[in-house]
Amino acid sequence: MKKLISNFLLGASILAVSACTKTDNYGGPNASFQGRLIDATTHANFETSQNSIQIQLEQISWSATPTPQFIPSKSDGTFEDSKLFKGTYRIIPKGGAFWPVYDSLKMEIKQGSSHDFELTPYITIKNFTHDLVGTTLTLKFDIDAPIVAGLPTIIDAQPYVNTTKLVGAGASIRDFSDVNAVTINKEFIDLAPAEKSITLTIPNLIRGRTFFARVGVRLNDSFKSSNFSEVIQIDVPNQ
Amino acid sequence: MKSIHKFIIAISIGVGASVTSCQKLNIPPTNIVTPDVIYSSEAGVRSFLATIYRNLPIEDFKYRPDGGDDANVNGIVYHLPGFNPGNPWMNFYNSASVTGEEVGPYGGLDIAGGFGYWPYGDIRNVNTLIAELPKHVGSLSQPTVDALLGEAHFLRAYYYFGLAKRYGGVPIIKEPQDPGAPLSQLQVHRDKEEATWDFIGAELDLGYQMMPATSDVGRANKYVAAALKSRAMLYAGCIAKYGSVNFVDGQARSLGLVGIPASKANTYFQAAYDAAKLLEGHYSLYNANSDKVQNYVDLFLKSGSPENIFIKQYSIANNTAHSWDATMSPRYMTANALSRSYPTLDFVSLWGSLPVTNADGTPKRFNDRAELMQGVEPRLLATVYFPGATLRGLTFDMQRGIYPSFSGTAAAEVAKPANSRSYILAGDVKTLYQGKQVIGFTGPWTGGDELTRTGFYVRKYVDYNKPQATVDLYRSEQPWIDLRYGEILLNRAEAAMELGNTADALSDINQLRDRAGATSYVSIDLNKVRNERRMELAFENQYYWDLKRWRTADIVLDRAHFKGLMPYYVFNENKYIFLAEPELYNREYTFQKQFYYEGIPGGEIAKNPNLLPNNPNY
Repeated sequence: MKKLISNFLLGASILAVSACTKTDNYGGPNASFQGRLIDATTHANFETSQNSIQIQLEQISWSATPTPQFIPSKSDGTFEDSKLFKGTYRIIPKGGAFWPVYDSLKMEIKQGSSHDFELTPYITIKNFTHDLVGTTLTLKFDIDAPIVAGLPTIIDAQPYVNTTKLVGAGASIRDFSDVNAVTINKEFIDLAPAEKSITLTIPNLIRGRTFFARVGVRLNDSFKSSNFSEVIQIDVPNQ
Repeated sequence: MKSIHKFIIAISIGVGASVTSCQKLNIPPTNIVTPDVIYSSEAGVRSFLATIYRNLPIEDFKYRPDGGDDANVNGIVYHLPGFNPGNPWMNFYNSASVTGEEVGPYGGLDIAGGFGYWPYGDIRNVNTLIAELPKHVGSLSQPTVDALLGEAHFLRAYYYFGLAKRYGGVPIIKEPQDPGAPLSQLQVHRDKEEATWDFIGAELDLGYQMMPATSDVGRANKYVAAALKSRAMLYAGCIAKYGSVNFVDGQARSLGLVGIPASKANTYFQAAYDAAKLLEGHYSLYNANSDKVQNYVDLFLKSGSPENIFIKQYSIANNTAHSWDATMSPRYMTANALSRSYPTLDFVSLWGSLPVTNADGTPKRFNDRAELMQGVEPRLLATVYFPGATLRGLTFDMQRGIYPSFSGTAAAEVAKPANSRSYILAGDVKTLYQGKQVIGFTGPWTGGDELTRTGFYVRKYVDYNKPQATVDLYRSEQPWIDLRYGEILLNRAEAAMELGNTADALSDINQLRDRAGATSYVSIDLNKVRNERRMELAFENQYYWDLKRWRTADIVLDRAHFKGLMPYYVFNENKYIFLAEPELYNREYTFQKQFYYEGIPGGEIAKNPNLLPNNPNY
């Protein structure tokens, strides 16, 4: 009987030991992918904001029907994800106010991979000036379209005002931003030259505070996305 | 030697036991109901139908458009069930409270992603029924089998309608699949959206042809099938017409899995019109009481109404009662629980703006809050509880606060920052200002959302006859009217309008307006038809789908904020004023274009990659 028990224990311990020696041989998420989103008209970084452009990744070396994952772009027009699994990905930028990219990029992502995407904005914002009188901020700018044919309807133009440099759609103070929007609801091609020069007014800013502001023009594409100007700093003086 | 004896004994017992047990096991399983039991009698089929009816995607009092709490049915846990959710008392989680009809507990447009509705288990039940019934003509008789088959086609259409309006094209599965079949046969591809709607239309035609004209309450008859067809075909027609203008591009669209060619729109509108017309003369608007307000209230509460086409019933005894009464009115008027969703001023203003402001912009002074209801259309008074209305002997005493004195215009006062307004507010109903209660027992109040945030309460479906002590959770039994003749007239009018038949549309709408106590129209346009629909079908979980099929949701709900009408007491004048202000939580609602279709549930794609491509932007 004792022999039986000891045999059993021996068998069990062999099984236990052999099970423990099996290790997870799949690489950790130590690959990375980064890059810039480049405005094809200016060759500078694309002006974007939170909840706007995303880089969609589909790992096709793992499954033929992958669940997409997304890298949100930073507001300076760059993106980075340093916790990706090594493999082949199908990559496409989405969600911003730029002419859609239809050809997705197929790329092997490993440690330190990078790629820059050149995007053509729907609308470019030019001659952006600002003027602060008392607590009223006036923002003036001209809009232009690199490609006119097929451009989505322009919904509205609005200022974005926030207390930090992270300012844009979803990161702004509503009472200074959304409520001061100007409705346009026109095709670009139907705009008179004077209508392409837009003035936005933000009254009743708070004295003694620093604000960051920019303007955006929203288009009626699939994402209702906006093209943005650069961010400016506004110091409202005390009296 | 002894051990060998034991060994022999053990073997003999073992062999003996196994030989005898083998014979005893050869009996039909007692815990499984076999087809013979179900199909040998109509009662057997009815018991099977009960499950199919129970799971129908009827968007009733308990429906949770966000999925709701997990439900446990006989030990099986359903995650995000949507229909028949767990803890089904929270009836204020309705779709009205994200569309601006009401504001409610949702923080924003929290329902637009859906809850992964995928009722192929229920569809399998119907498919089994359709496959089995013809084999049992002997025990059931041919007319019974035909009627039941018609009912099954109606039920299958109802499930597919629930799918099509969420996902567009889905796999059309007409036979119970064999689990042993090869994977390639089990992983069915999606059909085109157009094919899905055509299938729904054809199923409802079968239902209309095969079912009798009358049925038990709560079950379908041929007119129920026609009524559902008018709803479904109107949806499809709008997808064809408006979905081909306002859409999100993607692979699923270019393959026709979502979207219908615009040229098909009139075919569907005509089908909707024809189906609605079939009900003419068989159902009529509820008009039993000459008091227009009371009549419209009773329409939703009286049994045997000639307007009811298809209803869902509830029972305290069977543990299926709902909680509408306890969750639509404030605790002040109930025995338990709380309310959390409230009609907006934007909704009330569909009837025209209320006379709360004088020509010079100053707020009109009222001696009594109830004066506000003078001249308001009876249907609106029966849909919404206004300040000054009464329920169970108690008055809706809505009062946001007290102005010691008030001067200037309403607009200027509302535009002021809150801290520079001269009103007195209070954190609870007990606080007094010079002996006068500051806020009403029924709100409005910002300390929570169990008192109104808008100055209004829901009246539709509220059972005013229930004594206060009995207004508790799971104690409401008034049926949900899933299809009523009022909707059919609206379907008919809208389809007629889309087809250019204004005379028909005008007469349909004026029938409703007459019953509502509104003045008749002398001319009609599409906007009037749509607004009539919003007013007539308010809080009936229709408007969310209307916004989707009209493809206007992304415009109406574009960073939308909604308003309430706040009553204040002006102390030095002993008068009441009403100010239109943002609802007290001032929440924002945005509908993104991709939400016109929900994404195919990820878990289903994992099981069946042939469901790809997913809908655009998912």
